[in-house]
Amino acid sequence: MKQIGLLVSILLLAGAAAFVVGCRAPQATTPLPGYGKGSVPSYAGSLPALSRSAQVPALPGSRPSLGEEIWVVARTRSISEPHDTPVPGQGSLVIEEEKGKHVPLPLKHTDVKATIQGYIATVSVVQQYHNPFEHKIEAIYVFPLPENAAVNEFIMTVGQRRIRGIIRDRAEAEQIYKEAKQQGHVASLLTEERPNIFTQSVANIEPGRAIDINIRYFHTLAFDDGWHEFVFPMVVGPRFNPPGTTNGVAARALARQPMQRTRPGNAEAGRAGPNGPHDAPGTSDQKIQLSRYLRPEQRSGHDVSVQVDLQAGVAVEEIACPSHRVDIREHSPAHATVALRPEDHIPNKDFVLRYRVAGDRVKGGLVTARDERGGFFSLMVYPPAELRRAQRQPVEIVFVLDCSGSMYGKPIEQAKSAIRRGLDSLQPGDSFQLINFSMSAGQLGRQPLEATPLNIERAQRFLANLNAEGGTMMIEGIKAALDFAHDPGRLRFVCFLTDGYIGNESEILAAIETRLGQSRIFSFGVGSSPNRYLMDGMARIGRGAVAYLGVKDDGAAVMSAFFDRICYPALTDVAIDWNGLSASEVFPARPPDLFVGRAIMLAGRFNADLPRQLTITGKVAGRVVNVPVQIERSEMPARSIASVWARTKIAALTDKMLNGEESLGAAIRQLALDFNLTSPSTAFVAVDSTSRTSGGDKTVRQAVPVPEGVNFDRAISNSE
Amino acid sequence: MTALRLLVAIVLLVVGRASGQEPVPGTFRAFDLFVDSGNQPLAAYQLSFAAADAKIVGIEGGEHSAFADPPYYDPKAMQENRVVVAAFNTASPGQLPRGRTRIATIHIQTSASVVKQYELKVEAAAMPAGESITVKAEAVERNPN
Repeated sequence: MKQIGLLVSILLLAGAAAFVVGCRAPQATTPLPGYGKGSVPSYAGSLPALSRSAQVPALPGSRPSLGEEIWVVARTRSISEPHDTPVPGQGSLVIEEEKGKHVPLPLKHTDVKATIQGYIATVSVVQQYHNPFEHKIEAIYVFPLPENAAVNEFIMTVGQRRIRGIIRDRAEAEQIYKEAKQQGHVASLLTEERPNIFTQSVANIEPGRAIDINIRYFHTLAFDDGWHEFVFPMVVGPRFNPPGTTNGVAARALARQPMQRTRPGNAEAGRAGPNGPHDAPGTSDQKIQLSRYLRPEQRSGHDVSVQVDLQAGVAVEEIACPSHRVDIREHSPAHATVALRPEDHIPNKDFVLRYRVAGDRVKGGLVTARDERGGFFSLMVYPPAELRRAQRQPVEIVFVLDCSGSMYGKPIEQAKSAIRRGLDSLQPGDSFQLINFSMSAGQLGRQPLEATPLNIERAQRFLANLNAEGGTMMIEGIKAALDFAHDPGRLRFVCFLTDGYIGNESEILAAIETRLGQSRIFSFGVGSSPNRYLMDGMARIGRGAVAYLGVKDDGAAVMSAFFDRICYPALTDVAIDWNGLSASEVFPARPPDLFVGRAIMLAGRFNADLPRQLTITGKVAGRVVNVPVQIERSEMPARSIASVWARTKIAALTDKMLNGEESLGAAIRQLALDFNLTSPSTAFVAVDSTSRTSGGDKTVRQAVPVPEGVNFDRAISNSE
Repeated sequence: MTALRLLVAIVLLVVGRASGQEPVPGTFRAFDLFVDSGNQPLAAYQLSFAAADAKIVGIEGGEHSAFADPPYYDPKAMQENRVVVAAFNTASPGQLPRGRTRIATIHIQTSASVVKQYELKVEAAAMPAGESITVKAEAVERNPN
C-alpha cells in the first residue's frame, strides 16, 4: 500500500478541489502606471501626481557594471522635514538604466487568493516578475508571510511552463541556484530568514520576459473575543539591529566603501550625508539584506490584489476588515467572498480580516486528516465558562512602551492612549510600573507604585512627556520589566507596546525565556505592519497573549478588552485528558494558560480515533478543575493539517533552541524535508534546465514602501 | 496489491549519448517522462524516476492539458534523489490523453559527463473509473542545450 501512498494522497486532494479553485492567478496584471495601458491609480489623500522626472531616484556614484547590484536609492530629504502623514505617492518608481532612460522595478504584482475553512487558511500567493531592462536581471525581493505559515508549495512559471520547486537543505538549494544562475538557466530560490520573513530570488530573467512565482501555504487563524482573524502581511518594517548583532535584518545596501560607524556595531545609524541620512552609501554587516525603502511620495509600481473565500461552516454573523477597503459578497449565511478594492492596492500594511460566527458555537474545534503517515489534528480549545465565575486577584501591571524612532507619530500616540486607559482601569489594591525604552530604558518609579489616584495622575504626566526617537534596545526594556522581585500577593502582567521592529528577535525571546519567572507577558503589536513573529513569540514564551493595535484601531478599546480579560483568573497548568485515546506529539507540549476570550491552538498526531469529548484540566486561582469539552470535528485534506502540525512542531523546537539546545537544528531540518516545508535550514529551488540564457546580468532588489503610519525619516535613520 | 504489481513496468535504459564536449561539473539536464496508455484514457498515474549521480531540481507538467500542472512529489523519496510523482484528473474520458503522452519533465543537476543509468518505474496507472491499466513508460533525455 505504501507504493501507492502518494497517489492516494493526491486522490484525497480531490476533496480539496473546491478549495483550490481560484488559487491560480489571473494572468491579467495591473498595468504599471505610466508604463502600460491604463490610468494612474488614485489613492485617498495621495500627493499630487509627480512628474516622471520627480520620480527618478538618483543612483549614487557611477552606474553599476554587469554583475553588480542595482539599488534603488530614495531621494534624499533632510531629516528636519519629517512626514507625519506618510502616504504613498502615485506612479511608479523607476531606475535610471541609462542617462535619461528609465525603467520600472521587476516585481509588478502580487496576487493573493485565500480559502478559509473553519479556522484553517490555505493561501496562494503569485508574485509576477518581469524584466523591463535591455539586459538580463536577477530579481530579489524580501517579503513577509504570516509567522505560522507552513509554506508547502513553490512553482515557477516561465511562459506557459510550470516547474515545481524542490525542497532541499538550504545550503544545497543555494548552491544549486548559484550554479544554475552562473550557467544561464532561469532559476528561483525561496529562503526563510525568519518565520515571517522570506527572500525570493529569480535569476536570468531575459529582457521583456515575465516569470511568475507561486507560493502556497497553510496556517491556523487566531481567535480572540469571538472573532477569528486572518492576516496577510504585505511589507517588512524597518528593523533596528543592536550593536554586536550580525544575524539581523538590514535595510541598507551592501558596502561599496568601508563602513563608517557612529555607534559600535550599528553601521551608519544616525549618520547623515549632505542631504540627510540616506545620502550616504549604504553598508551593512547583517545577514539579511532588505531592500531600500521608498520615500513616502514614491511608489515601486508593485501592487497587490487579495481575495478571500470564507467558508465558515456555520452562519457568519459579522465580517470586518479594519485595515483595507473591501467588497464583501455573501453567497449564503456560512459562505462569503471578500475582495480588496482596487483603490486600496498598495502593499504597505497588513491585510486584516475578521469574522464572527453566530451565537457562541464555533465549528471546527477539532480538525483531522489522515494519510499514509497516520492521522494529524489541529485542536482549538476555548476557555471554559467557569473562568467568568471567579474574581481576579490584585495585579501588578508593568507597562513597557517602545519609544524608538519607528514609533514616531500615530503608533506612539495609539500606544499611549492604550496605556492611559490601562492606568484608568487599575483598581485599589493593584500596583503598576511604567517603563520606556529606546536606546536605553527609563521608568516611572524605582519600585512598582500602588494604584492610588495620585500615583496614577503622576504616571499620566510621565506618559504624556514620552517621545519617540532613537534605536530599539528592547533588551533594556525586557531587563527593566522582568528583573525585579516578584510580589507574591499580586499577579504580575507585563504589557509590551511596540511595533517589534528589531533584528535580534532570538535574543529577546531567549531573554524572556530566561527571566520570565512568575510574570505573564501580554504583547501589544502597534502599527500597520508589526513584527508579528516577535509579538506572538513574546506572548507565547511569556505565557500570556497577544493583541494588535492597527492604525485604525482604538488603542483605548484594545486595552479595555485586555483588562476585561484579566478581570478573571486564567486557567493555568492546562493539560488535555484525551480519554485514553491515542494523541501523540502534541504541540505546544506545555499548553499556554487559558484566558477569558482567548482560545489556544494545539496540533498533534493520532493513530486510532479521537473522541468527541475531551477533558481540560487545570487550576483556577489554585483550585484544580476538570472541564469536559464537547468538540466538533471536521475533516480537511491531509496536506494542510499535516503541514500545520509540522510547522507547529518546528516552532516548538525553535523555542527549545532558545535554551541552547542547538542539536535540535538537525531535527528541524529533517522535519521540514519530510513535510516539504521551508524552515531556517531548508529552501525551495527550481531550475529550468531546458534553455540557457547568455550574457551577464544585474541584480535588482525590489524597493518597498515603509509601513503605513511609520515615519520614514525617523524609522529608517534608526534602522541599519 | 498483486494487481498493482502487475502494473509495474520497469524500464532500465542505458543512454550512450555521446557528447563531443565534456560538460562542466554540475550541469543541468532534463528528462521527459512519457506514458503510453494505448487506447485507454489515462486518468491517474504514479511513477518513480531516479538517475545516477543526479539531484532533482524541478518537476514540470506534461504536454496534455489534463496533466499540464506539475505533479506532486514524495518528499521522503526526494531525499534519496529519487522522484515519485503522481497526478490524477477527474475529467471525462474524452478529455484525457490516450496513446503516448509526455506526463512530466524532470529537471536534474548532475556532475556526470553522461547520464549512463537511470530508472523509471510505473507504480500505478488508472482510467477514469479507477480501473487499473497497464501502461508503458519511457524516459528520454532532452538534447542538452
